[in-house]
Amino acid sequence: MRSELLKGMRMLDLTDEKGALCGKMFADMGAEVIKVEPPDGCSTRKIPPFLDDQPGLDHSLYFLAYQAGKRSVTLNLESADGRELLKQLVKRSDFLVEGFPLGHLESLGLGYATLTELNPRLIHASVTPFGDKGPAKDYKATDIVSWASGGAMFMMGEEGKPPIQMMLPQAWLHAGAEAAVASMIAHYPRQVDGLGQHIVVNAQACVVWTLMNEQAMPLLHGDYLRRSGVFTGAIGGRRKTVYACKDGHVSFLIAGGAYFNSSNAVIAWMSEEGMAPAWLAKGGGLKSLTPSGFMAATAADLKELDDTEEAIQRFFMTKTKKELWQNILQRRLFGAPVANAADIANDPQLKARDYFVTVDHPALGRTLTMPGGFAKMSETPVGPQGAAPQLGQHNHEIYGGLLGLTNTEIVELRATGII
Amino acid sequence: MSRLPFAGIRVLDFTWYAVGPVTTKYLADYGADVVRIESAARLDGLRLAPPWKDAKPGVDNSQFFASFNTSKRGLALDMSKPRAREIFLKMLPWADVVSESFTPKTLRNWGLDYPSMSAIKPDLIMLSTCMQGQTGPHRDYPGFGNLMAALSGFYHISGYSEAEPCPPYGAYTDFIAPRFAACALIAALDYRRRTGKGQYIDLAQYEASLHNIAPMLLDYFATGRVLNPAGNRSERYTPHGAYRCADEDGHERWIAVAVADDREWQALLGVLGNPPVDVRFATMLGRFRNRAALDEFVGSIVRIRGAEELTVALQAASVSAYPVQNCMDIHRDENLEAFGFWHWLDHKVMGPSPYEGQEHRMSRTPGGLRWPAPALGQHSDEVLGEILGMAPAEIAELKREQVIY
Repeated sequence: MRSELLKGMRMLDLTDEKGALCGKMFADMGAEVIKVEPPDGCSTRKIPPFLDDQPGLDHSLYFLAYQAGKRSVTLNLESADGRELLKQLVKRSDFLVEGFPLGHLESLGLGYATLTELNPRLIHASVTPFGDKGPAKDYKATDIVSWASGGAMFMMGEEGKPPIQMMLPQAWLHAGAEAAVASMIAHYPRQVDGLGQHIVVNAQACVVWTLMNEQAMPLLHGDYLRRSGVFTGAIGGRRKTVYACKDGHVSFLIAGGAYFNSSNAVIAWMSEEGMAPAWLAKGGGLKSLTPSGFMAATAADLKELDDTEEAIQRFFMTKTKKELWQNILQRRLFGAPVANAADIANDPQLKARDYFVTVDHPALGRTLTMPGGFAKMSETPVGPQGAAPQLGQHNHEIYGGLLGLTNTEIVELRATGII
Repeated sequence: MSRLPFAGIRVLDFTWYAVGPVTTKYLADYGADVVRIESAARLDGLRLAPPWKDAKPGVDNSQFFASFNTSKRGLALDMSKPRAREIFLKMLPWADVVSESFTPKTLRNWGLDYPSMSAIKPDLIMLSTCMQGQTGPHRDYPGFGNLMAALSGFYHISGYSEAEPCPPYGAYTDFIAPRFAACALIAALDYRRRTGKGQYIDLAQYEASLHNIAPMLLDYFATGRVLNPAGNRSERYTPHGAYRCADEDGHERWIAVAVADDREWQALLGVLGNPPVDVRFATMLGRFRNRAALDEFVGSIVRIRGAEELTVALQAASVSAYPVQNCMDIHRDENLEAFGFWHWLDHKVMGPSPYEGQEHRMSRTPGGLRWPAPALGQHSDEVLGEILGMAPAEIAELKREQVIY
């Protein structure tokens, strides 16, 4: 059932991967999101990997995940008739989101200045790699380039080895979600005064916003952070954040401050099982850490911490991820399993909350299970509104139903390659 | 300039650390009156966390806290005291939104859950955002975004191989959830305006963040396949990754490059001076099948080039590339500068200090960092006087009793 949250709102989604999550979030909130695709399909249909390793137009896992619940129309913007058709859609829409290179829509006569004259209510979000002002505004970027430009990549990886990405590229997801927030901000006054506006989202800046304020470090503390593998780069000590265990890895950190009680609780657990070194068990826990953290740690303190980490590592190797997670929960330790897709899919917490949602994909002849509502809202539940569309699946519904074209006219558009 | 979008919206904001404050910052920077209620007896941990002004710790010296709390007013109460809770309840009818990010039992223990508050303020919108949600067996799990990034799969897909995980920096999921939470909150305000109905929003950081790895979950459910890390490997681009350039003033420099097709490959070779090329790299398929050797080849040639000049040359040849910037580089970045991203605001205690700005810009109702983050209790007198008409003598008395700070 369509969420009531944005019921009645219509978004035209002209993005490729630069912003696809924006329309997905709007669809989850109940807006009618029309994905406007070129006649040979949106490039996101071709993003690997593919379901069952079959590279069909409906098999891209990216497409299935981030275009879910949208409608698909085909439209050739290179043709004058196609551009007219888009204008008709714009007149009947509340939002438009796109990720074209700067100036591309203007070159087609479809820039914001033109669209706002057709529909002053329109909120038009442009998702860009580098904004629209600086010397790199026309630069080409893939996700890894944006990840690098915003400072996140430099801090990922091991010293002496290349900085790295995540296997599911993240930069453009942040930019897409930012386009959704900004569009919602613009929506709020628009519903009173009837005036839309143009939004420029800057993916590079979105990546900077993932750095947890590390970006202020060089200005206030004089230096920038180097990547250090599984160690935190915290001032005053390199603390290990990922430990190996029997069947994988677990994230755990010994430290002072908020981590102090948790640090000593794991030592208590090791003592219970006779696996705390005598020097550690006898002392009743770490002495080096004060509640104010280890900013003033001495060489002896750091040695104690290093030795403790080694002891914890030996202990964790006797446990599975599941055993560690159960104890983390029971003993209120600050830790978490390094979960993979299987762990997440089988998490009892997500099951208890009925988080995952299964939708029917008739064209694939199967159901697909995917993340559910990003929040639980008491009055207006949100979540996936259906599977990702087939190419042009809603041409008749949109061009006929919304624009009022006759069947003959739609056939004509198809025959001439306009849709 | 137009009136700001959320002018007139009032928020009583109990959130702390990152997800909640970054969420309510969207409202504050766009005109909402967001009153950060800080429980002085149990400080927001970010107030104690670096980076600090002049590298000196202090509750009013943290840029980490400051950056996430612009355009808000600060009211310091000791919520463990019944008098403080009475004061809060008197303020409640004034608010449109109450937000909090404690573990679920905290507000319940204060008698401030949604049912009891909506009995006083029927159209109240309330946002609760904790790690794993308000229900379920793990609801009381305390933690930080770095742990949530491990639990949500991001650690697992980051590394050179499955045996060598290399997590994303910091509390990664703290910077995913706020955009989802802000959308939910703004949409709830719009819904209330249409229908007169408030509502309760339970946003688990975990559940919102899983949207950023949705393809691998969908794949697992459908086929049982588990995605594992493999460095900078891509199935779409090659070469693809970070390549070390010439060092500059003793600092290592890298360039990120992604090559999509034969044209871009030829363009890359042209920029690199058309070096002799191994026959295995003649076709896209050959380059995909010999990734390791290809990376070594590209790396060996790029090593003597400057990251900046190579970026300019590659982009001129229409190849995706940019320097892998460190946290100092981004302050010198001409694009962020031109976008107006960085701001120096004059904080009451810290003085002029560096804030990151907005990731977007609006043409008609531009928002912005209206003022720096509040010092602890900076607006206590002002807020209590204005909202409750509390007299200065009464405020002074409550301060003596350490109900207010």
